[in-house]
Amino acid sequence: MTRAWRWLGWVYLALAFGFILLPVGVLVTFSFQDGRLPVPPFRGPSLRWYAEVLADRRLMAGLGNSLMVAGVSATVALGLGFLAAVGLARHQLPGAAVLRLVLIAPLTVSYLIIALGLLSLYNRAGVGLSLWTAGVGHVVINLPLCFAILYAAMGPHLRAAERAARDLGAGEAAVLWHVTAPMLAPALLAAWFLAFTFSWDEFIIAFLLTRFDVTLPVEIWALLRSGISPRANAIGSLVFLVSVVVVVAVQLIALRKARA
Amino acid sequence: MSPGAGTRQGWGFVAPALLWTAAFFAAPFALMVWLSLSRLEGRAVVPGPGLDNYVRFFTEPSLLRGLVVSLEITAVVTVVSVALAYPLAAIIAFRVPKRWQRAVLVLAILPFWTSYVVRSYAWLLVLGQGGVVNAALMGLGITDAPLQLSATRLATVTGFVHFFVMLLTLTIYANLVQLSPNYARAAADLGAGRVATFVHVILPLTLPGVVTGAFLTFVLCMGDYITPQILGGNTELTLPQLIMMQLGRRGDFPMASAMAVILMAVVSLAYLACARWLRVERT
Amino acid sequence: MTLRSRAVMASTALAGLALAAPAAAQSLNALVWCDHADPELIRPFEEAHGVRVNLREYEGTAAGLAILDQSRPGDWDVLVIDAVDVGRAVDLGLLAPLPADALPTGDFFPDLVMEDLNTRDGQVFAVTEKFGYNTVSFNRAAVDADAMADMNSLFSGDFTGRIAIYDYYLPVLGMLALNEGIATADLDAEALERLRGPLMALRAEARLVGEVVASQTALATGEVDIVVGGGEWLTAVLAEENPDLDWTIPEQGALLWAQSIAVLADSANPDLALEFVKYIVSPEGQARLATSSCYWGMPANAAAAGHLSDEERAILRWDQQPEFLARAQRYPVPDADLDAAMQDLWIDMLQQ
Repeated sequence: MTRAWRWLGWVYLALAFGFILLPVGVLVTFSFQDGRLPVPPFRGPSLRWYAEVLADRRLMAGLGNSLMVAGVSATVALGLGFLAAVGLARHQLPGAAVLRLVLIAPLTVSYLIIALGLLSLYNRAGVGLSLWTAGVGHVVINLPLCFAILYAAMGPHLRAAERAARDLGAGEAAVLWHVTAPMLAPALLAAWFLAFTFSWDEFIIAFLLTRFDVTLPVEIWALLRSGISPRANAIGSLVFLVSVVVVVAVQLIALRKARA
Repeated sequence: MSPGAGTRQGWGFVAPALLWTAAFFAAPFALMVWLSLSRLEGRAVVPGPGLDNYVRFFTEPSLLRGLVVSLEITAVVTVVSVALAYPLAAIIAFRVPKRWQRAVLVLAILPFWTSYVVRSYAWLLVLGQGGVVNAALMGLGITDAPLQLSATRLATVTGFVHFFVMLLTLTIYANLVQLSPNYARAAADLGAGRVATFVHVILPLTLPGVVTGAFLTFVLCMGDYITPQILGGNTELTLPQLIMMQLGRRGDFPMASAMAVILMAVVSLAYLACARWLRVERT
Repeated sequence: MTLRSRAVMASTALAGLALAAPAAAQSLNALVWCDHADPELIRPFEEAHGVRVNLREYEGTAAGLAILDQSRPGDWDVLVIDAVDVGRAVDLGLLAPLPADALPTGDFFPDLVMEDLNTRDGQVFAVTEKFGYNTVSFNRAAVDADAMADMNSLFSGDFTGRIAIYDYYLPVLGMLALNEGIATADLDAEALERLRGPLMALRAEARLVGEVVASQTALATGEVDIVVGGGEWLTAVLAEENPDLDWTIPEQGALLWAQSIAVLADSANPDLALEFVKYIVSPEGQARLATSSCYWGMPANAAAAGHLSDEERAILRWDQQPEFLARAQRYPVPDADLDAAMQDLWIDMLQQ
């Protein structure tokens, strides 16, 4: 009976992975298609779509824009979230529970609603759309995330260390810089990384709040609406491969640090 | 440090984040509610207050149907995703050797790293008449002719489930590994079999985490525009699609805002239900 | 600091300035349809004038007007719009007058000059750039071409589940109107209600309703065999891959789509915008536009023939154009109320 369950478990694992990895496999395979239609039968392999994608100025610009918006918005969200977490964790502020709720609220609101609200605001205020306006939206969705992660990471150990530092005469800024931040480093990194990822892949806010300089998902969306071709496969695979490399690299670095 | 100075400092730290949230989240939302009570006449927005948009939404069948469609799809997606993700998370947490767990988990969420837009498009290719699934089915002799899989509700649900299984596996796994093994051990000591241990000990302990994950799935699924747009074939429109149509094709901000407020209300109801349930569970 | 290192620093600074200069070059902002996004079309203009062309694509006049509504003055320089909607844009004061002598309309196909649409009180506000037909596209290998000569065969039940409807309400409703014997110019609220039945019936026979790429994909992969509202614009770009993809004008007629290009009244670069318009309607620009990557279509300027290859002209059915033009009708031009009613009918159909 136990062996049957065990065997069933592995079968389920295999099937689940098959399901999860199927679209990625198809995507990457047909990015090498030698033909205009990314569907079976597979003809090729050919690198022409990768060449086209890398030569496509708009796609590459979108890629750069995505990196920039994700990096900046993640950093800003992290900064704001860090300060808010410190403020609420250290001091007993009146209505702290309400404050926490307000800061976390955007997490439960659909991105479409956030985008629509900001679009209405920008229209009324006469503000032109750009990567900045989209970046603001990304900070709105990432701030609650950073705050929640950092707030949860602030435990009694941290407070004890801070108190010790203050007793030794360190000013507030010094305490933050030399004690709080380094002790929270894993949480800070995790929060930044998560915020970066959410911004990087985000579509609807970027779509509604940009004009010409757009992020990669929006550019891919335009690509998908302007002519069927394996170019979409190629850019998708490129993004995928680069991300995998980064994730693996981070894992290896983290492992090496742990061993050292 | 004196208590007053401490509190002032605390406010000082919290202020930037609060201001940001107020300016770029609360204010836009208030503006949206105001717009929802206004009307579009020609190209100008006529301020209300008036419930015209809401009345129109609930009396026009094709618009109300959007909400129904969204709820139906989201319900199915949530149930199926949880049902598929829990065993997967459990197998990774309990069956896979500790050394390999992280790697296996990363493998399970690998497709997160492709662009969301491209991933939905990939499903379109997989499920298409000339796609891999049909090719396999016909190759194995299970079907004679290609099945209509893409541009259907099934395709939309599949695309969603694919995403949420990955998300829920991650969250449920995090939940499971936090469980102290002492619970299972205590149950075993008291004579409970494997199944009984799972049903009466592990499942209830992880239920709050599962419910939270399910709620997240609900919110994200209700508000998603891309997956139904790419995979649904316009066979039926979800609420986000209708909102985008009001915006893109008509520039009707008031109507779009009203529908967004309705979407928000539905999600809030779900939140209250979950929060009430979680509180009950805890007592 | 030595003289040498100072020289190095100075030259580096100058090089930096030189590299930065193009970034400050003029740019042109265009609100266009996807066929203008082809680099083959845009690059020659950018290189010739040393400018950067920014493009934002949109589908459907209503969407375009919504974007313009949400923009500030000076945001946009050039607009591509359905020829039948130029009048609406003029009414809204959006377009700038164009100098008639700068435009080679003398070389155009006579039916495509469309003075009644592109001019107002003797002032030219837009110029036609491309045209084609919304009719029936089909896969010759799967569907009998003779059956496609009669639009009513779509409702016969022979093709249930093998039809795609192009997701644009104006031409599809126009086609259904023709089938009911209503001229598109006579389409009013009452006539629209008569189209409700046929529209729902067509939907019941259809597998999906899709925009440009979804329809192309569906037809190309065999998902569907017929696209209602399709035409050469849908199939020509796939002709190389699958020569069986064809189109025809049924006996009931078809819709003529024509797109015009115009300069916006509050453009910040009116001269550059005019240059762009002139480039697009020049024979070379027309040839590139006709065969652009999103969808193909006939160039309004007949002089483009000299810049198109024989095969390209064959795919576009260049020689049959006079016959086609005689059997096609223009898009309906609804007022705001009728437009809203048509969109509502369309949403009803989608939600069925």
